[in-house]
Amino acid sequence: MRIPVVLCAAATAAVLVGCSAAPLDPTTATSDVPGYLAVADESVTAGGTLDLQMTVDNGAATGLDPQLADVATSWQLMSLVYETLVTVGPDFSIEPALAESWENPSPTEYVFHLREGVTFSNGRPMTADDVVGSLERLLAGEGVWKSQIGPVEKVSTVDEHTVSVTLSEPYAPLLAALANVPAAVLPMAEIEDGSLDVTAQMLGTGPYVVESHRQDVSWKFTRNDGYWAEDKPSADTVNVVIAGQEQARMAALQNGSADLVMLGNVDAPQLLNGARGTSVGTQATTDFYYLMLNSNAQGGKFDDPRVRQAINIALDRQAMADSALGGLGRPTGVTPAGLPGACDPARVPSAEADLDRAKQLLKEAGAENLTFGLAAYSTAPAPAVAQVIQQNLRRIGVEVTIEQLDEGSWSGKVYGEVPATFDAALSWFAGYADPGMVGKWWNPEQAGFNVGFMEPNPELNEAIDKAIATPEGPERETALQQLCDAVDTDAQMIPLVTRPALIGYRSDALSPTLYETEGYGNVFRGIADFRLLSK
Amino acid sequence: MRLFSWWLRRALSAVLTLFLVSVLIFAASRWMPGGFAEVVLGPFASPEQKAEVAAKYGLDESVFVQYWLWLGTALTGDFGISMISGEPVTTEFGLRLPVTAQLALFGVAAAVLIGVPLGVLTAVRAGGRRGGAALGRLVSGLGVSVPEFVLGSIVVFLFSRYALGLTVGGYVPFGQDPAGNLQSMVLPAAVLSVFVIAVAARTTRDAVLNVLVEPYITASIARGESPGFIVARHVLRNASIPVITVLSTITAYLLGGAVIIEYLFNLPGIGTYLVQAVGRRDYAVVQAGVLLAAVVFIVLNMLTDAAAGVLDPRFGAAAKGRKR
Repeated sequence: MRIPVVLCAAATAAVLVGCSAAPLDPTTATSDVPGYLAVADESVTAGGTLDLQMTVDNGAATGLDPQLADVATSWQLMSLVYETLVTVGPDFSIEPALAESWENPSPTEYVFHLREGVTFSNGRPMTADDVVGSLERLLAGEGVWKSQIGPVEKVSTVDEHTVSVTLSEPYAPLLAALANVPAAVLPMAEIEDGSLDVTAQMLGTGPYVVESHRQDVSWKFTRNDGYWAEDKPSADTVNVVIAGQEQARMAALQNGSADLVMLGNVDAPQLLNGARGTSVGTQATTDFYYLMLNSNAQGGKFDDPRVRQAINIALDRQAMADSALGGLGRPTGVTPAGLPGACDPARVPSAEADLDRAKQLLKEAGAENLTFGLAAYSTAPAPAVAQVIQQNLRRIGVEVTIEQLDEGSWSGKVYGEVPATFDAALSWFAGYADPGMVGKWWNPEQAGFNVGFMEPNPELNEAIDKAIATPEGPERETALQQLCDAVDTDAQMIPLVTRPALIGYRSDALSPTLYETEGYGNVFRGIADFRLLSK
Repeated sequence: MRLFSWWLRRALSAVLTLFLVSVLIFAASRWMPGGFAEVVLGPFASPEQKAEVAAKYGLDESVFVQYWLWLGTALTGDFGISMISGEPVTTEFGLRLPVTAQLALFGVAAAVLIGVPLGVLTAVRAGGRRGGAALGRLVSGLGVSVPEFVLGSIVVFLFSRYALGLTVGGYVPFGQDPAGNLQSMVLPAAVLSVFVIAVAARTTRDAVLNVLVEPYITASIARGESPGFIVARHVLRNASIPVITVLSTITAYLLGGAVIIEYLFNLPGIGTYLVQAVGRRDYAVVQAGVLLAAVVFIVLNMLTDAAAGVLDPRFGAAAKGRKR
């Protein structure tokens, strides 16, 4: 028996030596071009098949109707087919897309000049009627984006290539809201004559058309040969595999079966370090975690603003960013950090108070021995953020019990009952592309989902309205800081830290275009430019 | 007549079991925390949208009415529509069944072709110092004690760096690309096989050891029959019933979807689909999936009992005796 043991030991040693012999490869994506993590190399010949892997599919019962899409994964997939009037640049400036240019004759009037030569993938030219019909359909529908489009009073056709949008009052985020997929231009003639069921099929002006889709398994997109942008898209085919398991996505990236994968683990850059030919980009996003304190919680735990403010003071956002998010997140106020004009989270009232003040507030409210449950879903890194909250609050004598739930149970607990029965809950918002947009969700009468746990606050609502009505400039910066202060003082939904997006790609197979910061979570924004190096 | 009566009783028992399973899974799916509206439509859905979806899928009725309607259509082979894909549940399962069936085929083949012979070998050489018995004990011991998710995770990690021509994920149907299909199925099948081989080997070993101490084996040896003849003629047949039982259990388990393996290796089979359906409260899929697994278990159990009666008539006689 000794010989086999020796042989086994030798074989194990050989394998270990083989494993450790792989040379380390610097794997952090960076670019010299400001605003970009990576810029596609245009000198590479176009063509080939691009293999992508995502965590989840578009999974709503509302199907493929872009106007009803309310999560970034749906926007990512739909952006391959649908396009908007305008788009967002790497610095969050508004750039032309289906509208070649626009004018703003008055604070309540926008005139869009449509790009000529744009056709839907069925060959029919896009007209001003499609634009008007799409916006009218959005405003008449039930989608969440309806409220982000703002106080649109009238959309009308000026001529075949010109569209006018009239607002009932000034609304600064209009262009940013028009830049997201739910505001895409739909083929209204086909929808109206019944030849297209927009919930089951996608037909747009974008760079790709859907060849096949198996729910929760895969998508196959092929090049839209009639795409209006010259020489785009670069890749002929895009395969998207839905892989729920992080390890499987990492494996696909490492063995080269995927060119680009979405990653969820904030330690992915370390885990992939040394994997030959791979690169990990950390895309900052405007998405951010927030803590909900239920004003209707049993026992009146959070109906006193002083209790909520004490908790807010005790939260150490930098610790969350550093330890729970691996240094990849940023402390934020309600105007997402990273957006131009966003407020400084270090200047909000809670950041300027100390732990003694928090203890004093608890004492004044008679809540010195406060204990509460914090509902967090199990998808990383939310549990780690919850743990930091638990540790933070222990410093002021507040004991938190973390209830870790699957996303379905979490949703039921938080949104399922009015009034809500949970104590506190952790979640995240998409932060969008204008600093005033996400603030709307702090008005429960507009947002709807939080009526069960959030009491309307007239002062806060006023600050929200002012932030979105004030045009760009110093006045808006003041209005946005006031909005941050009002949200911070109200403390029913407390902004915490931004949520990074991790993108792994084969640097030896793919030359992608990726923004440094994304507002709509759309990693595929530059997909028409992606170049394949080895296919 | 007695045989007919036996089959009839088994069939009635199977129907009753399936009915109870259907009631339980229906109730459990409705009692799960988190309703379809919050999960499927998301937090921003308006009350009108929620009502529309509820009406579309009959979820605005009472649970009893929902069950009654579902049972009526299920008996005609219509298990409803997936709330996520909008496709009939039977179509969705039909797309995923080949993946699970292929994995089950590999698993059962490994259990029969490797696990059973290994079990016989370790039993026949039990107590000996020769390599086969030790290897058998090692394999079966490790196989049942290392959880699938641990072994699977190690394999995923190792083969993601050192692929050796195999892939983690990237499933393609066999008919579309046989080589690609095998490349993606070898690793999950291998991980699964470790477990099923171990279970089959241990069960076979115990069954064979029990037979080897029977007086008729001693008599065979006394008659001077060769060891090979004794194993083939007396041992295997008499040890086969527990082995067939465990093989049928393994088959039923695998056909119900090897959830962990499918999920780890991103295989679009029934196991992965059921996990997703539970997470999204896609009731029709959960109900049909659990019922399908129950049907597979019951049918295989009945076939196993029938096979046991054929292999050893005493089983049939004993059963009849008990029931009289």
